[in-house]
Amino acid sequence: MKKNGDVDECCSPAILEINKISVNRSGKVVLRDIDLKVHKGEFIGLVGPNGSGKSTLLLSLLGVLPLAKGSITIFGKEASPRNFYGRVGWVSQAASNLPRHVKLTVRELVGLGTVNAESIFQLFNNGRKEKILDAIKSVGLEEVIDTDVSKLSGGQRQRAVIARALVTEAEFILLDEPLVGMDSNSRNSLLKLLDDLCHDRGKTILMVSHDLAAIRQTAHRMVFLEENIKFDGPTNQFPDLETLANLRGITPVHEGPIHYHDHNPTGPIEVVE
Amino acid sequence: MIRENLSTLYSILFLVSIGALYIKIEIGEFYMLFFTPILESIGPSMPGETFPYFFTLEIFQRALISAIIVTIVAGFLGTFLLFRNLALIGDGLAHVSFGGVAIGVVLGSTSPMGYALVFSIIASLIIYELQSREILTGDASIAIFLTGMLAFGLVALRLDGGGITTDIEGYLFGNLLLIDSQSFNGITLICTLSLIILLIIRPALLATTVDPLTAAVQGVPTKTIGHLFSVITAAVVVSMVQVVGALLVTSLLVTPAATAQLVGRSFRSCFIWTQIFGFTSVLLGLYFSAENDTGSGSMIALVAAIIFCLVFIFTNLSKLKSFQSKYGSLFD
Repeated sequence: MKKNGDVDECCSPAILEINKISVNRSGKVVLRDIDLKVHKGEFIGLVGPNGSGKSTLLLSLLGVLPLAKGSITIFGKEASPRNFYGRVGWVSQAASNLPRHVKLTVRELVGLGTVNAESIFQLFNNGRKEKILDAIKSVGLEEVIDTDVSKLSGGQRQRAVIARALVTEAEFILLDEPLVGMDSNSRNSLLKLLDDLCHDRGKTILMVSHDLAAIRQTAHRMVFLEENIKFDGPTNQFPDLETLANLRGITPVHEGPIHYHDHNPTGPIEVVE
Repeated sequence: MIRENLSTLYSILFLVSIGALYIKIEIGEFYMLFFTPILESIGPSMPGETFPYFFTLEIFQRALISAIIVTIVAGFLGTFLLFRNLALIGDGLAHVSFGGVAIGVVLGSTSPMGYALVFSIIASLIIYELQSREILTGDASIAIFLTGMLAFGLVALRLDGGGITTDIEGYLFGNLLLIDSQSFNGITLICTLSLIILLIIRPALLATTVDPLTAAVQGVPTKTIGHLFSVITAAVVVSMVQVVGALLVTSLLVTPAATAQLVGRSFRSCFIWTQIFGFTSVLLGLYFSAENDTGSGSMIALVAAIIFCLVFIFTNLSKLKSFQSKYGSLFD
């Protein structure tokens, strides 16, 4: 098992430290003994099969799920929304199913990002409008700024939700499956946007996806999760499929070499009676 | 943990302040003082024979003011309820409040609305918890409370020997003229307080409604907001029961907001349209009910529904035209 989690410990302080956590959900162990450190400016792709605990890990980072064991610190404090609001941006999976039956413009959706525990009782929030406009510009949605969110494409909607996370001026952005249901053009431009955010604006990004190919093209570091961490290291060292199968403990079904059948898709179709 | 306790504390504080103020401050009288001159000055220019009385006679003035203020708050709540897929919570809570009224009557209380208030608020909080803990969907928990409390009220009334009397009918269908100065004070107080709180928590409430988890990550106390919203909904529904009746509460709570969704382009514009449609429904409803001597609640509900239909047809006119050009000659 390869563990390169501490590659660039030298460069910048750890934003997120996960110490030997275990998480149970409805009586079942979903995560076991997870250790993970995230440093400033990293772009991490968290991958794993369905049900491997990726979303669970994110929810525990956000302090929403209780830990059975271990501890999580974000920005040096215990993980809880109260301790990091404004510094952590969360782009949820639910972004793709924002309500469609109620009107909400992009500007209003992004504006929701400015609401937090402190601003509730502030009747006048100076500079709020400019912040919202900046965030919308940075994700390239200024043309649809007053359009109803339900009329946007999947990619645009995801951008709008990212703008909502940006408006909080979050330094650490967590994304849960942002690529779901997206065509290749919007996927590429979204990945480009995330890359720019990481490099030009110094954001730290942790993205969950089961789109291995997409993550491989963008992330600096990949973490493969299935109950515990099976691989953690730079993207270029990510194992090939066979090694991955070994890491995951998937045994070959066939004994010896696999016999491939002759396959001729253009040939005549045989009708069996 | 502290956060959860805080939210319960807030809710209790809200309840207590309503209770205390209910007895002490007669905010309704203040409204009357302020609005009577205005109403009386525009009264003579109003059309119809009976309708101008709404502007000149005290009992009618009370009815008019409470109908209007209830509509304002209802429109405010309605948009959020649509968002949460809780459109029928008004109906559910109104039936619960009917159960409360029945129990109040059986216990010999002179102001059974107090019972209605307590029962509705408890039911509303339980519905919220059931929904947010994903034990039941919103509509299922509403259905249980609606039928359960209605049945409880009916059984209690029957066992007591009274059955459904004209007073009880007033609660079911609404009777504006039953609004005496005490209940008028109650209605205006609840609505004013709710309106102030809603205005303050509006951004946080919207954030919570759109996506509770994201809002929680941003630091919005979502639980407190949810509890406050539930309590306010219950309190407003109970005051609406007195205006339009338990069976017709949803008409003011949801219909104007739903109509606004057809017209508005943003959340803010939908908000304003909701108020316009609500206001029109109430005024036209009162006018037609006064002139034709029908129940005010039912006429308001009917007008609201007709407005929805008209707006729907109007906004879809282009689609209708293309439909006509396609199928118009089908039976020629």
